[in-house]
Amino acid sequence: MDETVAEFIKRTILKIPISEMMTVLKAWNFLPENQLQTINFRQRKESVIQHLLLLCEEKCASINDAALLDIVCTQVHRHKKIWDVFRMSKEPGDDVDLFDMNQFKSSFKKVLQRALKNVTVSFRETEENEVWIRVAWGTHYTKPQQYKPTYVVYYPQTPYVFTSSRLTRNITLLGQALTIASKHHEIVKMDLRSRYLDSLKAIAFQQYNQVFEIHNSTLPLQERRLALDSRIIHENRVEKERVQRITQESFGDYPQPQLEFAQYKLETKFKSDVNGGILAERKEPLRCLIKFSSPHLLDALKSLAPAGIADAPLSPLLTCIPKKKMNYFKIRDK
Amino acid sequence: MEPANTLRRDRDKGGVLAHLERLETRVNRSHKQSEELQRAQAAENALGTKIHKLRYLRDKLRAEVKHRQVSRKVKASIANVEPDQIVDTSGKEVLERKLENVKATLQAYRFTGISAKLTSRGVCVCINTAFEGNLLESYFVDLVIQKPLWIHQHSVPIFIPLEEIAAKYLQTDIQHFLFSLCEYLNAYSGRKYQADRLQSDFAAFLTGPLQRNSLCNLLSFTYKLDPRDQSSPFCARLLYKDLTTTLPADVTVTYQGTEALSTSMEEQRASHETLFCTKPLHQVFASFARKGEELDTSLAS
Repeated sequence: MDETVAEFIKRTILKIPISEMMTVLKAWNFLPENQLQTINFRQRKESVIQHLLLLCEEKCASINDAALLDIVCTQVHRHKKIWDVFRMSKEPGDDVDLFDMNQFKSSFKKVLQRALKNVTVSFRETEENEVWIRVAWGTHYTKPQQYKPTYVVYYPQTPYVFTSSRLTRNITLLGQALTIASKHHEIVKMDLRSRYLDSLKAIAFQQYNQVFEIHNSTLPLQERRLALDSRIIHENRVEKERVQRITQESFGDYPQPQLEFAQYKLETKFKSDVNGGILAERKEPLRCLIKFSSPHLLDALKSLAPAGIADAPLSPLLTCIPKKKMNYFKIRDK
Repeated sequence: MEPANTLRRDRDKGGVLAHLERLETRVNRSHKQSEELQRAQAAENALGTKIHKLRYLRDKLRAEVKHRQVSRKVKASIANVEPDQIVDTSGKEVLERKLENVKATLQAYRFTGISAKLTSRGVCVCINTAFEGNLLESYFVDLVIQKPLWIHQHSVPIFIPLEEIAAKYLQTDIQHFLFSLCEYLNAYSGRKYQADRLQSDFAAFLTGPLQRNSLCNLLSFTYKLDPRDQSSPFCARLLYKDLTTTLPADVTVTYQGTEALSTSMEEQRASHETLFCTKPLHQVFASFARKGEELDTSLAS
């Protein structure tokens, strides 16, 4: 086993907490079950790693096997990366997408290898019609840099692609490879970014709620009343119910997809009722960046009006985030 | 003696007036008490009569009910019918029966393929797919009726081109949108059903894994008519170019082996190509299975 491969495997395993190690190794499916049983996970981590490296050495692990291990680790800790969303489109007259996985993989690899010669491309398909792609970038003259790979999550026969945003130089090449391999025409970056890949998927595919009203449903979704504790008298009951109703219409009853921030770049002229003031008389638009952050932004926005902090209805700029599939906005004067 | 008398007189005087006052209040009190007593008694009497009246009414109603039951039984025995089957003109039972009918009708709408329910902001459409008489998956689309019409949420699989269909028809012709979506979903369900059946029921014929994609519109597999056969398998590749159909438009069956194909094998190959184009996948393999059985029985006999 190559020294670089051994080092790479060692560093990858080092990042896995002991509690998750068995799950990851089983998912990797490189070392057989009986060998995994022989490992004592109670000892110090260094000893566990030594044992694992020995087993990998015996089985002659290659860089591709190591890359697959890296993919499995990233899948388990997907929220440690920030994901961008891209959207591909076809020409209107294009043929129906007869997606062939093998053809896609070979085509994707070919485009990258033709351009850069030294790349490590690995694929891992999961159950839910998704394929994870790992690309370690090299050049014609340098070996691939295994410690700064790019991950791509693609759902075949859909237009959306999710990439771990570490791309600087190779973004166009990656876009090319994806469009050519998946037989699309164009790829465009969306203004949507988050750590939570599953939430991004829910927003992109508009599937954040799977509970639907059907005619024999016994849940009366409309009959929401304020918590009727008889010891509490709500003074503004009518107003409170109005706020509840509007919040429910804007956000729905279901759990919101998880985003950490929304960013608004303003390039508008400052409007003020009060005459005068330093800001009011500028001819150029005011440049201003507003960023809302939260561990769960949409939940926080949903609770603003019921908590009395903001008026209902909230600004459409805030409520349109899942519908427009954006959390980066540029606002200019019309 | 005088001072004692005057003293007594004084006490008595103050005492007399006070005494008179005391007597007055005593009388007033006793008047009040007797009044209250009278009032209570009157109320008691009134309640008593009320109780009597109510009891009388209750007894009357009980008698009435008994009378009616008896008369109904009598009528039933005359008409030779169970008492329960007599049409009861009471409104409640009629309403209940109507409600049951409506509920059953609504449930039966599932079988038409499309049903819908009004929501607070629009309508939630439920598309129930089916293939060859088998009821398959259901999908929902929640539409918000505003200008412009938009899809709030849905359970359509991500690889069905919902956005495309919506872009074409949603604003101009909702019916067309729904029927088009229905076509796509039913066709997808049908193709998926065929692929699933092939994998589960006819795995014995396959010599390798079935390769399929999300839309089940490209299927690739290798198969042998007779698993015990030593010859090379056939390789079939089915392309469903039209996403609204459940039969492939393009089928290629090739022979995997290096040796040349005998004429009978060539005929088989060509006939298989036609079969896959014209009949659903699992039915083709079912016919292979039947032919195999016939061959076995004819050989055995």
